[in-house]
Amino acid sequence: MNVTSCMKRDVVSVLAKTTIREAANIFVKKHIGLLPVVDDTGRPIGVIGMRDLLTLELPDFVTFLADVDFVHDFGAVENTHPSARNLNKTVKTLMKPAITVEEECGLLRAYALMLQHNLHDMPVISNDGKLMGITSRVDIGVAILSTWPKTDK
Amino acid sequence: MTMAPAIISAIIFFGSLILILTEKLNRSITAIAGAALMVAFGKIFGFYSEEAALEAVDANTLGLLLGMMILVAMLEPTGFFQYLAVLAARSSKGKPVRLFILLGIITTILSMFLDNVTTVVLIAPVTLLICEIMGISALPFLVSEALLSNTGGVATLVGDPPNVLIGSAAGLSFNDFLIYSMPIVLFSWAGALFLLRYLFRKELSKRPRSVKAIMRLNPVETLNEPLVARRILIVLGGAVLLFFVHHALHISPSLVALSAAAIALVWVKPDIHDILKRIEWSVLIFFGALFVMVGGLEHAGVMEAIVGLLERASVVPPVLFGVGLIWIVAALSAVVDNVPITIALIPVIKGLGETGMDIGPLWWALAFGAGFGGSGTIIGSTANIIVTTLSEKTRTPITAKLWNKRGLPVMLVTCAIASILYVIVFQWM
Repeated sequence: MNVTSCMKRDVVSVLAKTTIREAANIFVKKHIGLLPVVDDTGRPIGVIGMRDLLTLELPDFVTFLADVDFVHDFGAVENTHPSARNLNKTVKTLMKPAITVEEECGLLRAYALMLQHNLHDMPVISNDGKLMGITSRVDIGVAILSTWPKTDK
Repeated sequence: MTMAPAIISAIIFFGSLILILTEKLNRSITAIAGAALMVAFGKIFGFYSEEAALEAVDANTLGLLLGMMILVAMLEPTGFFQYLAVLAARSSKGKPVRLFILLGIITTILSMFLDNVTTVVLIAPVTLLICEIMGISALPFLVSEALLSNTGGVATLVGDPPNVLIGSAAGLSFNDFLIYSMPIVLFSWAGALFLLRYLFRKELSKRPRSVKAIMRLNPVETLNEPLVARRILIVLGGAVLLFFVHHALHISPSLVALSAAAIALVWVKPDIHDILKRIEWSVLIFFGALFVMVGGLEHAGVMEAIVGLLERASVVPPVLFGVGLIWIVAALSAVVDNVPITIALIPVIKGLGETGMDIGPLWWALAFGAGFGGSGTIIGSTANIIVTTLSEKTRTPITAKLWNKRGLPVMLVTCAIASILYVIVFQWM
C-alpha cells in the first residue's frame, strides 16, 4: 500500500503572490492545517502551515521563555492581531520549504518523515513533480492501523 | 636589537583586533588563530616560547570565571531570575516608572555578583513577558537593563571580566573594589538611571493597557526547583562572604569561586553534561588565547616601547593622566571588546609602575573606562548585543540610531561622573 491510497485528492493550493490575509481566509473556509504554495505549472514551491500564521499573532515572549505555564492571563496581548501591513504581505514571505513525498512512497516512510520533521500534513507529488494530493498523520495512521489483524487468528 | 619581533607580534595582535572589530571572523576563532601564530612566530624569531605562553595565561582569572559560570549555570534552570522579575512586576502594581526602577535595581545587583551577560540573558525574556502582558513598549526596559548591568558590574571584583583581570593582575581584593570602585560606581549608576528615566520619559508615561493580568502572576509558580534554587543561593551567599575576607585569608578569588562551584555540584548533584553545556566555553577560550597573544607582545618588547612613549606623557599631572585613561579606554571599549583592551593595557600599566609612577589610581581608571565605555554602542558590550538580538526577533527592534540617543549619553554621563569623582578621590591620595 502506498501513500496515494490515503491522501485527499481535492487539495487547495495558492500561488506565491497570494496575500497572507487571503491565505488565512482559505484556512478558515476549508478548515485545513496546511496550504501548499505552487508555481504556474502546479509544482509545490513551499507550504504555509497553521503554525506559521499563528506565529504572527503569538506574543513575542512565548518563543523566549522555556516555560509559560505560570502565565495565567496573557493580558494586553490576548487581543492583538497582526497588522494590516503584515496581512498584506504575500505568502512567499512566510512560506517554509515544502517537504513532500512522491506518489509511490510507502506508508511507513511517509509517517517516519512526518515524525522527523514534526509535520501534521504533507503534500504528495506525482512523478512529474506536480502537486497531486495531501496526506495527514491521521490519514496515514488510520491506514496503517486498518491493516492490523482483527483477531488472534 | 632587531625590530622584527616587535613588528610581527604587533601585526598579529592588531590584525586580530581588527578582525574582531569588523566581525569578519568569530572572536574566539580569531583569538585561537592569533595565539597559535604568536607562538609559532615567537619560536621562529626566538622571542616567545611555549613555556612563556603558558605562563602568560592568568589561571586566576579563568578559574574565577569558570567557578561563577558553573554556579550561574546551575541557578539558571531553577527559575530564580523569573521569580525576581515577576516579584518586581507585582510590587510595581503596574506602574511603568516603578517597574523600570525595580527591574533596573534587580539587574544591577545581580550583575554586581554574576556575569552581566548571564544576568541580561535571563532577565530580558521575562521583562518582555511583563511588558507585553501590560501592553507597554519593552524597549526602555531592555535597553536600560543592558546599560545598568554594564554600569553596575564595575562595582565589584566579580561583576565584570575586566575587573577580574585587573584584580588578578594588580592584586586588588574584593574589598578594594568595594572601597574604591563601588562608591564611584554608585554615583555613576544613579546618574545613568536618572538619565534613562528622562530619555525614556515619553514611553514610560504611557498608561499600561492591562494591569490586572500582571497582578495574577504568582512569583512562586515561576520557581521550577525551589529547593535547588535555595541551595545554590546559600552557596553563592557563602562565596560572597568569603570574597570579603579572601585577601585576609590569603586565598585567591578563583579558589573561592571554584570551591563554591564544587560544593554546589556535590550538594545539588545536577546532570553535569547539562551544566557544562551552559558554560560559555567560547568566552574562556577567548580569554586564554588573548593571554597568550598579549604575552607574545610583551616578550617581543612592544609593551616596553609603549611604556617608553607614555613615560614622556608623565609630565602631565597623574590625576589628569588617569582621567585621560578613563576616556581613551572608554572610547576604545565602545568599539572593540573591552577584554582585549584590558588584557593589553595591564602590562603597559605595570610597566609604567616600574618606571616609578604611582599606578594605584590608574587601575581604577582602567576599570571605569572599560566598564562604562561598553555602553556607548550596540557592539560595545555583550549585554548590549544580547538585548538587541532579542529585540530583533520581536515587533520592536532596537536600532543603532536608538542606541546613539540612549546608550551613548549614558556612556558619556557615567564616564563624566566617574572622572569628576576620580579627580576628587585621587587628588588627595
